[in-house]
Amino acid sequence: MLLFSYLLMSGVTTGALYALVALGLVVVNKATGVINFAQGEFFMFAGFVAWTLHVQFGMNYPLSFLLAVVVGFVLGALTDRIAFRPIDKNDIVSLVLATVGISFMLKGLARVIWGGKADYLSFPPITSPDPIMVGPIMVIPQQLAVLAGTLIIMLVFAAFFRLTRAGKMMQATADNARAARLVGIRTDHIYTLAFGTGAAIAGAAAVLTAPLTLLYPDIGFTFFLKGFAAAVLGGLTSLPGAVLGGLIVGVVESLAGGYIHSSVMELSPFIVIMIVLVFKPTGLLSFHKARRV
Amino acid sequence: MSKRFLTTAAVFAAATMTASVALAQQPGVTADTIKIGTFGALTGPGYLYGKLPMNGVDVVFDEVNKAGGINGRKLELIREDDRCDPTAAIGAVKKLVDQEHVFAIVGGGCSNATFAAKEALETSKVPTVIFASVHDGITTPPAANIFSTATTSTIESQAQLAYAIEQGAKKIAIISMRDSWGRARYTPLMEAFKAKGIKPVADEELSPDANDATAQVLRLKAAGADAVLMLLYPKPAAVFIRDGQKLGYKPLALGQTGIADPAAFEDQVGVPGATANFRTISQVRYTPEDPKVDKWRKLVETKFPGDRLSVYNLFGIGASQVLVEAIKRAGKDLTQEKVVNALAEMKDFQTDVYAAPISCSKEDHRCNKSPAWMAKDPGGPVKVLGYTTVGK
Amino acid sequence: MFGRRNVMLALLALAAIAPPFANGYQIFVGNLVLIYILLSIGLNVLVGYAGQLAFANAAMFGIGAYTTGLLQVHFGWPFWAAFPCGGLLAAAVGTALSLPALRMSGLYLALSTLAFAQATQWVFLHWDAVTFGAGGFKTPHLSFDPIPISKPLGLYYLSLILAVLLYIFARHMVASRVGRAFVAVRDGEVAAESLGIDLLRYKALAFGISGLYAGIAGGLYSALLNFVAPEGYDLFQMIIQKSTIVVGGMGSVAGSVLGAAAIILLLELLREFKGVQEIVFGALLVGFVLFMRGGLVSVLQRYVRGWDEPLHAVKPRAEPAPLPNPEPQTSPVEK
Repeated sequence: MLLFSYLLMSGVTTGALYALVALGLVVVNKATGVINFAQGEFFMFAGFVAWTLHVQFGMNYPLSFLLAVVVGFVLGALTDRIAFRPIDKNDIVSLVLATVGISFMLKGLARVIWGGKADYLSFPPITSPDPIMVGPIMVIPQQLAVLAGTLIIMLVFAAFFRLTRAGKMMQATADNARAARLVGIRTDHIYTLAFGTGAAIAGAAAVLTAPLTLLYPDIGFTFFLKGFAAAVLGGLTSLPGAVLGGLIVGVVESLAGGYIHSSVMELSPFIVIMIVLVFKPTGLLSFHKARRV
Repeated sequence: MSKRFLTTAAVFAAATMTASVALAQQPGVTADTIKIGTFGALTGPGYLYGKLPMNGVDVVFDEVNKAGGINGRKLELIREDDRCDPTAAIGAVKKLVDQEHVFAIVGGGCSNATFAAKEALETSKVPTVIFASVHDGITTPPAANIFSTATTSTIESQAQLAYAIEQGAKKIAIISMRDSWGRARYTPLMEAFKAKGIKPVADEELSPDANDATAQVLRLKAAGADAVLMLLYPKPAAVFIRDGQKLGYKPLALGQTGIADPAAFEDQVGVPGATANFRTISQVRYTPEDPKVDKWRKLVETKFPGDRLSVYNLFGIGASQVLVEAIKRAGKDLTQEKVVNALAEMKDFQTDVYAAPISCSKEDHRCNKSPAWMAKDPGGPVKVLGYTTVGK
Repeated sequence: MFGRRNVMLALLALAAIAPPFANGYQIFVGNLVLIYILLSIGLNVLVGYAGQLAFANAAMFGIGAYTTGLLQVHFGWPFWAAFPCGGLLAAAVGTALSLPALRMSGLYLALSTLAFAQATQWVFLHWDAVTFGAGGFKTPHLSFDPIPISKPLGLYYLSLILAVLLYIFARHMVASRVGRAFVAVRDGEVAAESLGIDLLRYKALAFGISGLYAGIAGGLYSALLNFVAPEGYDLFQMIIQKSTIVVGGMGSVAGSVLGAAAIILLLELLREFKGVQEIVFGALLVGFVLFMRGGLVSVLQRYVRGWDEPLHAVKPRAEPAPLPNPEPQTSPVEK
C-alpha cells in the first residue's frame, strides 16, 4: 500500500508538470483551434530568461518570475503575428509547420546563448530543498509548489473564461469566429491574447518547474509531447480536462513503471490514449462546441 | 535505363576516380596551411558532444597557429554538423573528404552517428582521431586510419563494475538510458558482468528527459541493490539521486564520463548531502574549476564569450593535441600515411587533460584506457581518487 | 516550354547524366533527394490529397528500412527479396492505421498517429533480440552483380528508376477516379459519402499507398546507409517529410518532387551556417509558409504555363461535357 501511495504521489507531481504544459495548449486551442508546436520551446526559453535574471544577474525571485511570464506573453503574441494570423486557418499542416519553425528558431537561439554555459543549468527552488513528510510519504516541497501552481492557474483561467468579458469573447471566437466578428468582436486581438496567454502560462510553468527539471535547450519537446497527449486526452478545449489528462498521463507512467517495469513507462500513456480515443474520439471532457452555443 | 548505359556510366565513373587519385597530391595541404575537418552535432540535443569539443579543438589550433603552426603550416578547422544523426554524419564525412578535401579529421560525437560514418572514414584513408564517441565498434575491429582518445564504452563499463566490486558491493544493479549512447555502454557492461560470473540484481531504465525516478528507486530498493551503475546523462542521474535521497535510498552510485563534473552534478541534484555516495569516471583528469586548466579556461572563455569551460571542451583539447603531435612527428614532407603511422606509434604522449599518457599501437586504436575516478564530498572540493587502467 | 512535363524531363535527364561526373558526396546527397521524393509523394497522397493529418510516415519509413535490413541479417535473404517485403509490410501496416482514422480526424488523428509512431520507436528500441535495440545494426553490402557498377552509382540509378516509375504511377492515380475520391474525402467526408464514396476503402487506400512509398524509400535508405538505427525514424524525420510537402505544394505530385529536392539540398546548403542551422531552417520554414502559400508549385502555377495538375486525365477540348462535372473544379492546392 505504501508502494502504491508513493507511485500515485509521484505520478501526480509529474502529472502536474504535464498539466501545466497542457493548460497552455488548451488556452490557445480554445480560441484558435490549433495546437502550438512551439509551446515546449516557450517554456524552455522563458525558463532560461528567468535563470539569467535570477541566477546570473541576481534579480529577486518574484520579479524574475514576473518577467518570465511577460517574456512568455511576448513570445506568444509574436508567434500569433508571425505564424498564425497571416496563414489560412483551414490549412492545418501549414499552421503546424509554422509553429514548428518557430520552435526550431527558439531552440537554436537558446543553444547559441546558453548552450555553452553548462550541460544542464540548475535553478534554485523557492521552497526548502530538503524533502518533507506528507502523511507517510516524503515529497520534495517544490513538487507541492508545482501542484499548487497548476491548480491555481486552472482555477484562474476557468474563472477568466466564465466571468470576464475578454474570456467570454475568446470563448465566442472559438465557437464561431464569423459570428463573433459579426457581433463586433475583434477576433485578431482575441487570437493574440490567446497565444500570449498560453505562452505566459508556459513562462510561469518554467519558473515553477525548473528546480525539478533543470534547464537545457531541448527540454521543450518531451514536455510538449506529453502536454499534447494530456490535452487531447482531456478533450483539447477543457481546462479541467487538461489537468485531468496531465494527471492521468503522470499516474499511468508511474504505476506502469512501478508495477510492470521501467522500460514501459514512456510508452504506457500513449497506449492508454490510443485506447481512450478509439472509444471517445474527441477526448474525455469534450463537448461539441457547435451545439453548445 | 539500359544496361549498356549503366555500364558506360560505371566505366566513366571508375575512370574519373582513378584519374583523380593519380593526379592528387596530399589533400588539404599547401605550403602554409593544413585543412582539418571535424564533425559532430552542432545542433540538436547531442551538441554537448559535438559543438563543445569542437570549441576545444578550435582553441588548441589557435595556440598552435600563434606559435607559428606545424612546420610553418597553419591549421584550418572546418566544422560539419551531423545532428547526432547517422545519415547526416555520413553526409558530413563525405563532404569533408570529397568536397573539402581535408587532410585529417578530429571529431565524432554521438556513438551511432560516428559508427555509421566509420565506413566512409575508413575508405577515405584520412587520419582520424575520435574525441567523444564511445561506441566499441568504432575502434574494434580497428580501421587502419581511425584512432580514439575517448575512453571506449567497454573500458568504462569494466571500470565501473570493477570499482563497485572493489568497494565491497554485493548486490549490484544497473539503471540505464535506452538510447544509442546508453546501449553502447550497456552491452559491454553486461559482458563484464558475465565475465565476473555475477548477475545484476536489478536492471532498470530511465529516459534522458525523465523528471521523476520514484518507480525506479522503489524497484532498486526492493531488490536490495547496494551499488547502482548509472548509464545516464547528468539530468536523469540527478533526478534519480534526488528521488533516492527523498526515499531514503543511498546506494553507492557510480557514474561515467557523461557525468564528468561532480561539482556541477551536486548543483543539479539540488538536495543537500544527496551526492555523498556518488563517484564518477572521467576520461580527463581535471574538472573545469581546477586551476591546472586555467590556461584553457581563459582561452575558451575569451574565444566563446558567455561560455564556461566544460569537460566537453577538454575532450576536444586532448584529442586535438594528440592529432597535432602526430602531424608534427610526420615531419615537413607531410602525407596522410605518415600521420597514420605517427598515430599508431604514439607512446606515452602527455596531454594537458587526460588522466594518463596516450599510447596507441598498430593493433589497438583505443589510445586512452585510463579513466580517472572522481568524487566530491557534499560542500567539499572535488577529489581525484586515482585512475584505473584497463586492458594492457 | 517551361511547363511541368518539360521541366520534369529536363530534371530527369540531368539526374541520369550527372552522377558519373559527381563526387561521392554529391552522389550521396542526390540519392537522398530521390529517396525523399518517394517519401514526399506518398505523404502528399495521404495528407495533401486525402486530407488525413497523420504523423506516422516516419514510422512507415522505419518499418521499410528495418524489414529490408533484418530479413537480410537474420535470414540471409538477398536484398532483392527483402526490399519488396519491406515495402509491402509498410503498406500493410499503413492500411491497418486507417482504422483509427475512420473514427478520428484533425488533431485527434494527429495525436493517435503520433502515439503509433512512438510505439514503433519503442519496439525498435526494446525488441533487442530482433531489432538490435538502440545501437542499430549494419546491413550487408549491396552488390549489383552481374552489372558492373559500383554500389553508390547502382543504388542511385535504382532509386532514380523507382522514383520515376512511382512518380508516373502517382500522377495517373491522382488524375483518376481514385484521386478525385481522395479529394472529395478531404473536402468533406459527409459530402463524399453522399456521393457514394466508401470512406473506409479510400482512407485505407490512401494510408496504404503512403505506407508503400515510405516502405520502398526505407529499403533504399537502409542500403544507402548500410546501417539502420532508431534515431533515423523519429519525429525530426517526420518534420522533414512534412516540410517537403508544404514547401513543394500540398496536393501536387510535381510539388513533392520540388519540395523534397528543396528541403534536402537546403539542409546540405545550411551546413555553411555552422551552428545556427536550426535558426535559419526554422526561419525558412516560417518564411515559406508565409510567403509561398501553396508551396513552390503554386508559385509556378501562377507565373508559368503548364504547371496545372488537373484531377482528370486530359481530354480533347472539342468534346463538350454532357453534364456539369460532379466534382468541383477546385484547384488542388487551395481548399
